Amino acid sequence: MNNFRHAIRQAMTIARRDFVATVYTPVFLLFLFAPVLIGSISAIGGIGAASMGDGVADKARIVAIVPAQVAPAMIAQDKRLRAMFPRDFRPSTLSIVAPSADPAKQARAAIDDMRFDVGGVLYGDLTRPQLLVPAIDRYTAPYLEALAQATLSADAPRIVATRHEAIRARASIGGQHQSGFIAVFGIFFLTLFLAGQVVGTMAEERNTKVIEVLAAAVPLEAVFAGKLVGMFGVAVLFVGFWGAVLLSLGQWLPPTAAQAIGDLAPAIGAPTFALLFAAYFSLAYLLLGSVFLGIGAQASSQREIQMLSLPITIVQVGMFALASAAARHPESWVARFAEVFPLSSPFAMAGRAANSATLWPHALALVWQLLWVALFIWTGARLFRRGVLQSGSTPFWRRSRAAPISG
Amino acid sequence: MADERAVTAEHLVKRYEQRRVVDGVDLSVPAGSIYGVLGPNGAGKTTTLRMLLGIIEPDEGHRTLLGHINPREASDRVGYLPEERGLYPAMKAKEAIAFMGALRGLDWAEGRRRAVTMLEEAGLGHAADEKIRKLSKGMAQLVQLLGSVVHRPDLIVLDEPFSGLDPVNQEKLEALILAERDRGATILFSTHIMAHAERLCDRLAIIAGGRRRFEGTVDDARATLPSRVRYVPHHPAPAIAQLLPADAVADGGAWRFQLPDGGIEPLLVPLIDAGYGIAGLTIERPGLHDAFVRIVGQHAEKAA
Repeated sequence: MNNFRHAIRQAMTIARRDFVATVYTPVFLLFLFAPVLIGSISAIGGIGAASMGDGVADKARIVAIVPAQVAPAMIAQDKRLRAMFPRDFRPSTLSIVAPSADPAKQARAAIDDMRFDVGGVLYGDLTRPQLLVPAIDRYTAPYLEALAQATLSADAPRIVATRHEAIRARASIGGQHQSGFIAVFGIFFLTLFLAGQVVGTMAEERNTKVIEVLAAAVPLEAVFAGKLVGMFGVAVLFVGFWGAVLLSLGQWLPPTAAQAIGDLAPAIGAPTFALLFAAYFSLAYLLLGSVFLGIGAQASSQREIQMLSLPITIVQVGMFALASAAARHPESWVARFAEVFPLSSPFAMAGRAANSATLWPHALALVWQLLWVALFIWTGARLFRRGVLQSGSTPFWRRSRAAPISG
Repeated sequence: MADERAVTAEHLVKRYEQRRVVDGVDLSVPAGSIYGVLGPNGAGKTTTLRMLLGIIEPDEGHRTLLGHINPREASDRVGYLPEERGLYPAMKAKEAIAFMGALRGLDWAEGRRRAVTMLEEAGLGHAADEKIRKLSKGMAQLVQLLGSVVHRPDLIVLDEPFSGLDPVNQEKLEALILAERDRGATILFSTHIMAHAERLCDRLAIIAGGRRRFEGTVDDARATLPSRVRYVPHHPAPAIAQLLPADAVADGGAWRFQLPDGGIEPLLVPLIDAGYGIAGLTIERPGLHDAFVRIVGQHAEKAA
């Protein structure tokens, strides 16, 4: 334990040096404001989130609680009216339900149906219909009202529906999936920006020969951990800065945008989701960073480090794609694989937090991911010790050839 | 204290690919001494020091550092100046010293305070707030040396500390080594410059071809070669050679030969009686340089 504390202290010394050396430079300002220059990535995120919403269209419904004898006419009118809308703006699929003794209670139950995202419920007498719709939905109520009007005879007087605001007892499936995608994309975006910074950090020590001083004083595992933590500090500073900026901007959002954001309701609850997002961002950074650090430490020149940037980006995009697929199909084998595979696990588990309220898998995942961080650091240090410092025992496949030639 | 060993090494072996660059080196460094590891380029000095410090692991053999089998356990009590100097160019001199101290467990603020004092004592007070990249090579080297002793270690390992320093800075470094020894530290340094070793070392080892070829004091090393005599007669004549040892050779007006086993006195009486007289007589003890050349040369002959 004493040795462990000693190593932690040494790692923190290196982390502090790296943090200060990175942050106290003019170049850091350029790095800090880089996101301003790449709005295009945000656009990609927006498209992705929208497509994630599309992915749940088959679970979206509007419900009409009407007697069976009215159903055929309503279905026919729905078909006719629906055809008037452009493809991307058509209302959700209509479900017709026979009324029970208490249609209002039946309507509330439909809104809270776990199987579907119900955008609105029409019930009661068609000449004086009642509409139960979530506040966020601006299009369903007029459509249901028009559907009720069209279902009545052509000479029926114009009806006026009574609207009731539906408050969901749970997050909408679309909102969950969109939250999931935003979590996955957010972590991808941040690690894409930040984890790649770690690749070249050992190059400074190699080029300046400081590595010999560090290796004599500190176990290499502590050197690697220190460099990772130092750069993670830089990442946290970056995220903190932009988080504060975005929170400040949030106060100036128009009410409709604020409502839309309000519909992003992760299944696990917003406060826990925020904590898990922070934890999974940290672990995604540490996991990818430890791998990149280990690989980058083997590079002996700036040119080699630059050449590593392509495979590194490909790995990151690959993990993003895997986790996105997992968030889109939370119950699939792809999701299970993405949650277990170490490099995609933080992304996929962040998506899971949006789609499922169960907490214990997160505790398990965090421990699992930390184990892999330790393993990657240990492996990186070992490869560095053997490949760069030329220490360690001779690999078994070379032992037979390693005969003494002097003395 | 006199019996304590700061460093021991038993049969250290290190192979790179098929070559044994260190081939069974034994060392025993008394605590509180200045111990030199001498050897020609490529002899295995640096590899030996790196194994002692735990930077690399030996393929065979054992070592202890300040009584610890695992050198890492003593790392806070050790200072190290590597052969390839390395400092962060963007760091200020005092920060670089404090950082090196912090790696060895010294509080950062205390390290900074000591750094300023040490820089002033070394005549580099003006450079305390200068970035390393702005210092000359020699100044940067001194800064690194100060960084390796700022935490007041019990053992200081210096790999070729004098290389790259001008004579003034070499003198400063010698003074610092002696001061550290007086403080009670053990100093283990490698060099191939004999003058420094001769002035500083209490004991030394000569390594060549990956093996230890000699271990002892400077006097012990010198004693591996006989003393030389330089005799200048009052009245030179070719016949004088008949009274001198067989290996005597003329050198201008003087004769040079190895000091006979029986001493110089038995030779002098016949020379005086024969009327050659004595205008000058010098017994020259061989230097460490001569001993080094002979010991390393013997190894080279064997290897050839």
